[in-house]
Amino acid sequence: MTVNVPSEKIERRKLASKPFARADRIFFSVSTAAAYSSFVIIALILIFLVGRAIPAFQKQGIIDFAFGSTWDSAATPATFQLGPMLWGSILISLIGVVIAVPLAISIAYFIEFMAHKTLAKIVTTVVDLLAAIPSIVLGLWGAFVFSPIAAGWAKMLNQSMGWIPIFDNPEQNFLRSPFIAGIVVAVMIVPIIASITREIFSQMDRDVINASLALGGNRESTFRKVILPTAAGGVIGGVLLGLGRALGETVAVLYVLNISFDINWANVLQAKGGSVASMIISKFGEANPDEISALMAAGLVLFVFTLIINSIASYIVAKAQPWRK
Amino acid sequence: MEKVTDLTPVARPKTAAPWSRKSPQFRLYASLASIVPAAIALGTIAITGMDFMAALFIIFLPIQVIAAALVGITVYGRRGILEGLLVVATIFLSSFVFVLLGSVIWSVVSNGFAALSPSFIFQNNYYIQPKTSLEFGGVGHSIVGSLLIVGLSTIVTVPLGLATAVYLTETQGKSKGIIRTLLQAMSGLPSVVSGLFIYAMFIASGITTYAGWTGSLALIPLMLPTVARVTEEALRLVPVELRNGALALGAPAWRAFVQVTLPAAKSGIVTAILLGVARVIGETAPLVLTTFAADRTNLNVFDGAMGSLPTYLFNYIAFGFDESIQRAWGAALVILILVAILFISARVASRTRTKARK
Repeated sequence: MTVNVPSEKIERRKLASKPFARADRIFFSVSTAAAYSSFVIIALILIFLVGRAIPAFQKQGIIDFAFGSTWDSAATPATFQLGPMLWGSILISLIGVVIAVPLAISIAYFIEFMAHKTLAKIVTTVVDLLAAIPSIVLGLWGAFVFSPIAAGWAKMLNQSMGWIPIFDNPEQNFLRSPFIAGIVVAVMIVPIIASITREIFSQMDRDVINASLALGGNRESTFRKVILPTAAGGVIGGVLLGLGRALGETVAVLYVLNISFDINWANVLQAKGGSVASMIISKFGEANPDEISALMAAGLVLFVFTLIINSIASYIVAKAQPWRK
Repeated sequence: MEKVTDLTPVARPKTAAPWSRKSPQFRLYASLASIVPAAIALGTIAITGMDFMAALFIIFLPIQVIAAALVGITVYGRRGILEGLLVVATIFLSSFVFVLLGSVIWSVVSNGFAALSPSFIFQNNYYIQPKTSLEFGGVGHSIVGSLLIVGLSTIVTVPLGLATAVYLTETQGKSKGIIRTLLQAMSGLPSVVSGLFIYAMFIASGITTYAGWTGSLALIPLMLPTVARVTEEALRLVPVELRNGALALGAPAWRAFVQVTLPAAKSGIVTAILLGVARVIGETAPLVLTTFAADRTNLNVFDGAMGSLPTYLFNYIAFGFDESIQRAWGAALVILILVAILFISARVASRTRTKARK
């Protein structure tokens, strides 16, 4: 038996592209709304910081605020300029990254390519544990345990290589210098760089490595000519993420650095340096409204700075792992 | 009877991966090269009483590098020098990280243990001066405060993070890439900025005075990325077949999620929550800016100043007297113990997950 249906009455059923059930629609819209909350949070941070920072920018002028080098709330008119802190943050982060990168890469290499499985697991746990230590505990350790030791290292460095301008230190006071703050920051960012590098290493094609070994390469040439070029993108992304974290490091740096508005360009062993985040927290307690506004502006500068670095970093990391969608 | 196809893989021939087989001669050299330099260095320290660091850098490292280079030369010829260097550098730098971590933990445990006593853990800080001896007063109010502040932000963050992870894994949303990048960028948000933000939004604008809940709000932006990312990983590990099976049986998406995906990813989500809490329990800067450290126990998150462990630590380091530093070490040990508990529970939770998958 055939059924004759006039052709104009056949409705092509549309493929389901939207959820039918109302409950599903609610489910999906709730999750979408939650996903956009991160967008909202970042927008709110920007709005409120900008709102509070505008008075400071108007009084000081944006260029003077960012690059000048006086911070005096008692002067008339009060002057707030961020230059030494901004440069100090960058200097400390660079020292931290320079120290952390070899440590992190060698730990990642050790875990992925050298250690046996059990040992690799233990080392991974240790690295994760290091990441879980709160920064204030590291600050306490840095101030009372590590600083004296590192001051000894700094002294050795100064005596053996003092003729290089950056290791010059006429005052012979080695505590609370950018060098020590940089090492403490390095301790904080080693786990970040190491875990990303390890992830990139572990996702590498083992056949490529084995091929290099089979062609007579040794571990070193394989590492230099095969592993490192393949993993470079991810490693650089990890390093940038570490850099972003280092720039925002607050309390750990506060205890091991002498914050000074007398700008210290590159004399890493001298006991004066700067850090935007630590400066904010140290000045906040006894700040008048004008100064609070300036501190908000400093926070805004720090936020925009780290946001840019982190976005670039996560873009690079995502590009380096095209198999993750 | 039908012949069953043999599914066991072909055994690897003995000659496979010849580069990973080491000759006995090489093994002998390698073990000699790892024992002799250490023995020489230790011997020198024992005989001459040399400083350990100096011996490490002047005697041990150069000899170790030379020994490793010699082994490399015997195996690979002249290019073996770099091979030896790589091995020595990797192991030395890796153990350096171990030493740093060991030093941190040992100093906190050994210094903090002296301060730890029942009264230190249960009493609050009322009437306590920076130089009061350690028999009186403690961190009780701070532990309670920390737990309440972090608890409140967990209650807010976990549903938010879970729903974000659902968006990233279960839906066909178009802006997944942007959201993921934003989360990644947010995970690098300086903690002090988060504190400034909440201060600007609620305290500077006069909506409220210092209170516990402002601290909780300041912790949310720091906790959200961790919770969302780890949850996303956990949801991603659930096999697609399970989810599709539920959908094919006619379940609406939310039922498939609640009854199939969620139970399968349960332990991963627990790990995400624990890691998120561990991330923020020691955050200092936001709490210093948004909760005024109180000396008394305060059980109401929504009213009045509230002490917490990190702010306690912050204040007592700032006082700078011997007794106050001692208290700071004690509080640091308490924080570290809390972090360790969270960390170990997260490990246990994720271990049950890997077992369940097998």
